[in-house]
Amino acid sequence: MGRRRRRQPDPADAARALPEAIAALSRTLPAAPSPEIFRRAKFDRPEAAPALWRLLFHVLSPLSADSASVSFTLEAQVRWVKSVLHSQGYPRLALVQLQDDGSQGGRELLLALAWLLARGPLPERLLTQSHVRLGDEMPVCECEALASPGPPAPRVEAEGSVDIRHLQWLMGKLQLRWRNLMAGQQEQCALLGKIHSYTRGCHSDRSLGHLSVTETELLRDPEGGRQLLQRLETENARLEAALEWRHRELVFWRWMDTVLDTCPLEASPPTFLPRIPEPGAGAAGLPVRELQALQEELQALQEELRKAVEARRAAWQAAVGGHGPEWRAARRALQVAVAQDLAALQWAWEQGKGQARPHGPRRLVRTEARVPGRLGLWATEATEALRAREACLEAMLHQLQGQCRQELARLVGVRPGLIWVPPPAR
Amino acid sequence: MSIVTVQLGQCGNQIGFEVFDALFNDSHCPGGLCSKRENEAYQASCKERFFSEEENGVPVARAVLVDMERKVISQTLSKAARSGRWKYGQHSCFCQKQGSGNNWAYGYSVHGPRHKESIMNLIQKEVEKCDSLSGFFIIMSMAGGTGSGLGAFVTQNLQDQYSSALKMNHIIWPYGTGEVIVQNYNSILTLSHLYRSSDALLVHENDAVHKICAKLMNIKQISFCDINQVLAHQLGSVFQPTYSREGSFHYRRNPLGDLMENLVPHPEFKMLGVRNIPQMSENSLAYSTFTWAGLLKHLRQMLISNAKMEEGIDWQVRPPLSGLPPLGKMSVNKETHFNTSIANLVILRGKDVHSADVGHHRALKRVLCAEHLKIQLSILPG
Repeated sequence: MGRRRRRQPDPADAARALPEAIAALSRTLPAAPSPEIFRRAKFDRPEAAPALWRLLFHVLSPLSADSASVSFTLEAQVRWVKSVLHSQGYPRLALVQLQDDGSQGGRELLLALAWLLARGPLPERLLTQSHVRLGDEMPVCECEALASPGPPAPRVEAEGSVDIRHLQWLMGKLQLRWRNLMAGQQEQCALLGKIHSYTRGCHSDRSLGHLSVTETELLRDPEGGRQLLQRLETENARLEAALEWRHRELVFWRWMDTVLDTCPLEASPPTFLPRIPEPGAGAAGLPVRELQALQEELQALQEELRKAVEARRAAWQAAVGGHGPEWRAARRALQVAVAQDLAALQWAWEQGKGQARPHGPRRLVRTEARVPGRLGLWATEATEALRAREACLEAMLHQLQGQCRQELARLVGVRPGLIWVPPPAR
Repeated sequence: MSIVTVQLGQCGNQIGFEVFDALFNDSHCPGGLCSKRENEAYQASCKERFFSEEENGVPVARAVLVDMERKVISQTLSKAARSGRWKYGQHSCFCQKQGSGNNWAYGYSVHGPRHKESIMNLIQKEVEKCDSLSGFFIIMSMAGGTGSGLGAFVTQNLQDQYSSALKMNHIIWPYGTGEVIVQNYNSILTLSHLYRSSDALLVHENDAVHKICAKLMNIKQISFCDINQVLAHQLGSVFQPTYSREGSFHYRRNPLGDLMENLVPHPEFKMLGVRNIPQMSENSLAYSTFTWAGLLKHLRQMLISNAKMEEGIDWQVRPPLSGLPPLGKMSVNKETHFNTSIANLVILRGKDVHSADVGHHRALKRVLCAEHLKIQLSILPG
């Protein structure tokens, strides 16, 4: 009668907890497979591997899940995932050794996924990337783009001879594409300006004052409005799944421990020598003796490695040092140059320390008056920061061009019988 | 994005008028196979590229007219105004009284510097009217003095002032049995200067177009007007709005950018040619039927055998089997007549375009011993 009976922990609950946790994870990640696939992956079943490769591809790639990624074959995706994980410092060699056709290695892929999840707030980061944006946004810095791995590049075969004209062709194509991109961006800015000024006063939020392109389309085309609503609902579902995931994570990590246990031991390089306790008598002494043998073996290996490295270094120095004083002078010049670069970097950092560098994408708002206390970044400040950055990069470019010119001049001097025809100066 | 056209000299101005006329009439012709919404999108895209809007609603061509004599420009202006459907801007032209006397140097070294400011100001005003600039289209002939000499000068100045904008020069190659005594000198001087300052040179040969008029269009007394109309038709089919091959819901925004990216990335190979199929007079249209397969087959052979029109194609010429000839072994006496273009772009217009199979043309793209780049076009009556 009103007294609450204490609920016994239901064993069925415990059994359900893991699949529910994994289901929550699936719902929040893009292109994630079902909990059943995860379970099969633990036992290294072949059908689980392709799905997990694709999951890792979508998680690591900066592109949105639809557009370009469907055009990549599984093999290309596998190779790319391996290279990205390697560049991020993934420690397990077994992943790299998996076959490129993506047919095996479900367990290793689970471990890779867990590693990525453990490093940082992965679902939250992915959600931020694919966030539905209502305003017209523009990035003010390149940090995000520079930090994320690039899209998969086509494999380039290093053949014997390279056709310079083909290279010139590709270079020209790149430059023209760049110019077209710039022109396209300028057009976009001009049109955005028009839309923003035409829709002044239409927005219910006074601080914004005008509509963005998405909002204008919403008003013009009800079908578009329905699609936007759908996208918002999908995003909502993913956010809820992310919250649920955070509640249920622990179960998943306990399960991942069991996955790790089922993996064969990996021969990873020793980073330190384990401290071996004193050998005792009896049954306990056996493993200790084995440990000691292991330690001696490790020491021997390290000694061998050190000798090999020294031999290599001596050989290299002999090969390079054959140039004598010229080489020493070059080395000194190099040291001076590096010191100069370092000093310049330090100076530049000191200068810029006071100003906070603006980051991330911002919504564009066109307004007349400078309202005090308004949060946000003024375009003039952003452009100033960008101009400073541009000046730095131009200086670097000039320096590199000067080095190239010196190198060319040196090459010209080497072969007196050669006539150089430089391209017409632009 | 908009294209600003610069019409230079007698030839340039006459052709320019025909081009704008063809563009306008094409985008506003009644009938056609598309829905109203499609038509409106096409019209809007075409209009934004070539015309700007004036208060009374009559479209104004985005063009600057330059000539050293008054006659041709006033004729051009009045012809446009007479049609009532579109016109040139009142203040978009620059003319003088004395002419250039077919003297390249007079156009380049005398008229150029003397009138540089006025001409560049006119162009600047036209550019400011655009929301965004795709580039410049400069129409000139190589034989005369104004078109060639002044044209070279203006292109150079455009390069200096608008270095980030694309420039395509439309060049009229004079008749072999020339009109002008010094046309060879004028041509060489023009080409050498343009090669440095222009991004692409689109060449139309008077001889070839003359043959098209005679054989395909069955015109008895061929006048320059007929030739210019054929030219305008070909140019129109290049510059009218297009979709990309992968399919899209909107027309591509940057016509010059698309052409240049695909055809002239290499700084040493800038010359372009156009081939059109089918070309015929309006009267014969009613009696002809076409299929994409047939048209593409003819077009392909036109490309391979270097033919300028679809009559008299040499079907014996075949592409070489190995793709790349060995470097350094180019024998000039090879009488294969095989086309030596580096890149080709096919533009298809008409009914059931998606069913057209462009097929295996990749072999042609790998021949890297070339001087010419060509564009392919295929036109079907809409």
